[in-house]
Order: sequence, then structure tokens, then C-alpha cells
Amino acid sequence: MGKTILTVDDSVSIRQMISFTLKGAGYEVTEAVDGQDALDKAQRETFNLVLTDINMPRMDGLKLLEKLRGLTPYKTIPILMLTTESCSEMKARGRDAGATGWLVKPFNPKSLLEIISQVTK
Amino acid sequence: MTDKAPENDELSLHSGTELETDVNNRIYNVAVDEYFLNIKSELNQIDRLVNDAVTHLMINFEYINELSKSQHEAILDIKKLSASRNNKSVLELLNKQIVITDKNEQELQSVLTALQFGDLVSQLLAHTTKQIDTLKNTLQHIDYIRNTSDSEKYKQGNNNEISMAVQLAVTKKTNKPVVQHEVQKGEIELF
Repeated sequence: MGKTILTVDDSVSIRQMISFTLKGAGYEVTEAVDGQDALDKAQRETFNLVLTDINMPRMDGLKLLEKLRGLTPYKTIPILMLTTESCSEMKARGRDAGATGWLVKPFNPKSLLEIISQVTK
Repeated sequence: MTDKAPENDELSLHSGTELETDVNNRIYNVAVDEYFLNIKSELNQIDRLVNDAVTHLMINFEYINELSKSQHEAILDIKKLSASRNNKSVLELLNKQIVITDKNEQELQSVLTALQFGDLVSQLLAHTTKQIDTLKNTLQHIDYIRNTSDSEKYKQGNNNEISMAVQLAVTKKTNKPVVQHEVQKGEIELF
């Protein structure tokens, strides 16, 4: 059974592209449309990795990150931020809240898979 | 842009000229609201068109990717069959075909990166829409001050009020969510 990944993005096309890339590499992918949807899904199932956008309605990626790190199963699970945001202030907020890494969009499928493989070893 | 309707007793105190000004302001306000609504509607239209285009391109992309994979598998099968017959020229041609399909697959990876332009455009459009809202609110604020201040005071303080309102809009300005100028792979940092 492949590793499970929760991917969070309010853009349908980005979710499609991430799923396409990850499923092609053998991962099991669950999609969430925003932070709240992701939190609900993460409470029902523990994923091996969370890949989340930042700017989303209802609950943004940084809030989701804080909430997930507050849940026992997610204290050490890799959480990657995949966002258009690249300012150092925002990155520092992510790092302080417990993000494992920061990927600036657009992503390259090969690099994304390499990073995921690296942090889920 | 002030929506506040005058009370009945207030209305009776207005002179004819003030009433005319009030009516003119309302017409002006409706026109300004329509103007901003039209801009926002056009931005929404751009967003929908871009998203629709990306959705179609993504369907085409997945189909081409499937075809490319099938082609790659077929070439490998033919190569296996040809190997037993030791036909050198056919094997050479098949090797060339394998190089082409490999290159196709690499190009498809770049296409997936480029297709993310839709998300960048959507975020920029959302940011511009917020700025337009802020501008509209600033103009409403200036208009409110103009309509509620007595004219002499307004004339004296007008510039200050405009500056204050613009300053308010600037402080409300949110960070630009997209700084990229090209659709190229973004940086990666592990903490």
C-alpha cells in the first residue's frame, strides 16, 4: 500500500495537477478544498504527509498548520507548504508554526516527488 | 456615494439647491457603483476564462500523457520482438523512438509546471479585486466627509481628509500574493 498524502488547495486545477503527479508515483492522495476541509479529513484519518496551500477561504494554510501540530498524530508528520507566497516574513511564520518545508509555486513534478520522498523516508 | 437617506424633518430644512445637490450625488453614486461593479465583473470574467482554459488544457494534457505512455510501452514491446530477430536497422529505429518518447515525457513535465499559470493569475486577480474594493471604500469615505461637513470647513480640510482616506486605504493594502514574473519552477526550502 502506498503512502497517503493529504493535498490542500482551493484551486481545482492545482489539486488535479498535484493528484496527477503523486498518483503517478504510487501515492494515495486525498484532496481537501480548504484548511477546514483538510482539518476535518485529518481528524478522521492520519496521513503520512500533508501538502498545503496558504491563501484559501474559511481556513488558511498557516492556521491549518497550527491546528494540525496541535493534534498528537500530526506532531511529527511532514507538512509542506506549497504556495505562491515567497516573502521571508511568511516563511518565518510557517517555520515557527512547524512547517517541514516551503515550496514556491509553480512546482515541478520531478522536484516535488524528490522532496516528498526525502521527507517521508 | 453616501447611502444615508435624509430623515423627513431634515428634508424639510433643505433648500432647493441642497436638494438638487443631493439628487445629483445619488446619480453620481449609482454611476460610480456601477463603474466599480463593471470592473469587478470583467475581472471575474477573466478569471473564469483562464480557469476554463486551464481545465480544458489539463484534460488534453492527461490524454496526451496517456498516449505517450502507451506509445512508450508499444515501442518497448516491438523492441523485445525485434531483438530475437536481431534486425539491427529496426533496433536502431526503435532506440531513436525511445529517445523521442523520453523527451516527450520530459516536455510534459514542463507543461504541468506551465499550466499552473492559471492559479497565479487567479490569485493576482483576487488581489486586484481587493484593491478595487479598497479604492471604492476610500472614495465613499471622502464622499461621506464631503456630504456631512459644512462646506467652508470642507474646503479648508478637504486635502487633509483625502490624504487621510488614501492613507487608510494604503494601510489596509494586503501583501501581493504572487511576485513571480515568469512561470518557472519555484524555489524549495526545507526547514
